[in-house]
Amino acid sequence: MNTINAGNIAKGGFIIFKGAPVFITKAEFMSPGKGSPVMRIKFKNVKTGTAGEFTYKTGEIVEVAEIEKKEMEYLYRDGEDLIFMDPKSYDQVNIPLALVEDQFGYLTPNLKCWIVWYKGSPIGVNLPAHVTLKVTESPDEVTGNRVNAPKKTVKLETGIEAQVPLFIKVGEKVQLDTGTGEYLGRVK
Amino acid sequence: MKTWQRVKEDPNLLKNYLVREKVVDTIRSFFKKRDFREVFTPILVPVPSIEPNLEVFKTELRTSKGLKRDGYLIMSPEFSIKKLIAGGVGNCFEITKCFRNEEEVSAFHNPEFTMLEWYRLNADYFDVMKDFENLFCEVIKSVNPNVDLTKWEYQGKLYDLTPPWPRVKIADAFRKYAGGNVLEVEDEDFYKIYFNEIEPELLKLKKPYFIYDYPISQASLSKQAKDPRFAERFEVFLGGVELGNCFSELTNPVEQKKRFEADLAERKRLGKTIYPIDEDLIKALMELPVMSGIAVGVDRLVMLAADASSISETLFFPGKELFDL
Repeated sequence: MNTINAGNIAKGGFIIFKGAPVFITKAEFMSPGKGSPVMRIKFKNVKTGTAGEFTYKTGEIVEVAEIEKKEMEYLYRDGEDLIFMDPKSYDQVNIPLALVEDQFGYLTPNLKCWIVWYKGSPIGVNLPAHVTLKVTESPDEVTGNRVNAPKKTVKLETGIEAQVPLFIKVGEKVQLDTGTGEYLGRVK
Repeated sequence: MKTWQRVKEDPNLLKNYLVREKVVDTIRSFFKKRDFREVFTPILVPVPSIEPNLEVFKTELRTSKGLKRDGYLIMSPEFSIKKLIAGGVGNCFEITKCFRNEEEVSAFHNPEFTMLEWYRLNADYFDVMKDFENLFCEVIKSVNPNVDLTKWEYQGKLYDLTPPWPRVKIADAFRKYAGGNVLEVEDEDFYKIYFNEIEPELLKLKKPYFIYDYPISQASLSKQAKDPRFAERFEVFLGGVELGNCFSELTNPVEQKKRFEADLAERKRLGKTIYPIDEDLIKALMELPVMSGIAVGVDRLVMLAADASSISETLFFPGKELFDL
């Protein structure tokens, strides 16, 4: 059994909470003036996507979910599920949309992602660090500050918005950081 | 992009950042109307306060002649204000910058923050509860004059702010919601039980609330309650956000020195920065009248008044951005 101190729980990790694997969405260390410091976490149940929260003492021992990762391709969204496929075996898996909520807008068909497995079941998705998306809508004219790296808001093929430099036009492709949503560059 | 650049691009954002000015003005007029003196105490001190779990920013003061002294940024202005009260200042308040090191920089924490403290003479912690209720309602009204205090909205949830707010004894809350005797709970388990079992129940009140009478082991600078196993201390919360921590102030120098020594030992055990006990404060305690005081996080008041989800949304220079954290 792999364990860590609750003080080392980090966002993006997987632990066992009350017997079930959960995905950590927020982990905050808090030190009250008196009493012992605590680690307040928010998590999602990896099977249902249901959110929960819990407070540990920082020194408590917490079981880590022993996970494996496998590269698969995103296919499409089916209701509240996302469908991924193993490009070699053509096996398909369903992942609850709730587990990738914030990053759903970066998924395009055939994007290669790491599927996280726990005891033979898929429980999560790690996206690549950056993705390339096509610009579908852009304001015609942008006024404002042109001195300090001016940016404008454009709409991308998946429906999300991004801040990009003024010279980017509709139909061009841009690279975005999937962790921060930041513009990284233009893709030719 | 930096905050100032985002504000320049979208002037609508400015609104949130200007709430602070209004809140601070309201605090000042609230206390001045009640004849409290505004005091100004040092931020750089030779001996800071001694909370065992808090870490301090340490520096060194050097004169042109080569004299050297340890210097610390305050974690709270409490020690200096108490000396002023011992000197005869009377009812007073201060709005000042405070600093805490080694904390999670999060929605409710910034390494540099603004603290409001006020001290009411010949008063106890129940009097300060009333001050807090009235001040908070004035702050909210000053930022949003048309607010209906029975249905004040913060982050999509409604709260009834009309005083009096529920006052919940800690021992009762532990009995009712955690099925146990708080005096049998180890200090180190206290907050785990509080956050997991008690807070979710208190949030159902849909009002701000005071929780009071802490076990004496968590008394800090507060005096004993009538039941000597408890201390006259309260904390006030809204929607799970802690807004203030109040004591009926301990004025017994012998007891205070004993507690400081225990706190210092605890700091050593935890590997925190070590500095001497403030003997000047111990002396000042002998001159202190009966009084009660509270420390309130101004950034959190601003956040609530602006309906922002984190204090950084109301800071022009949030620590995360400033220090690339």
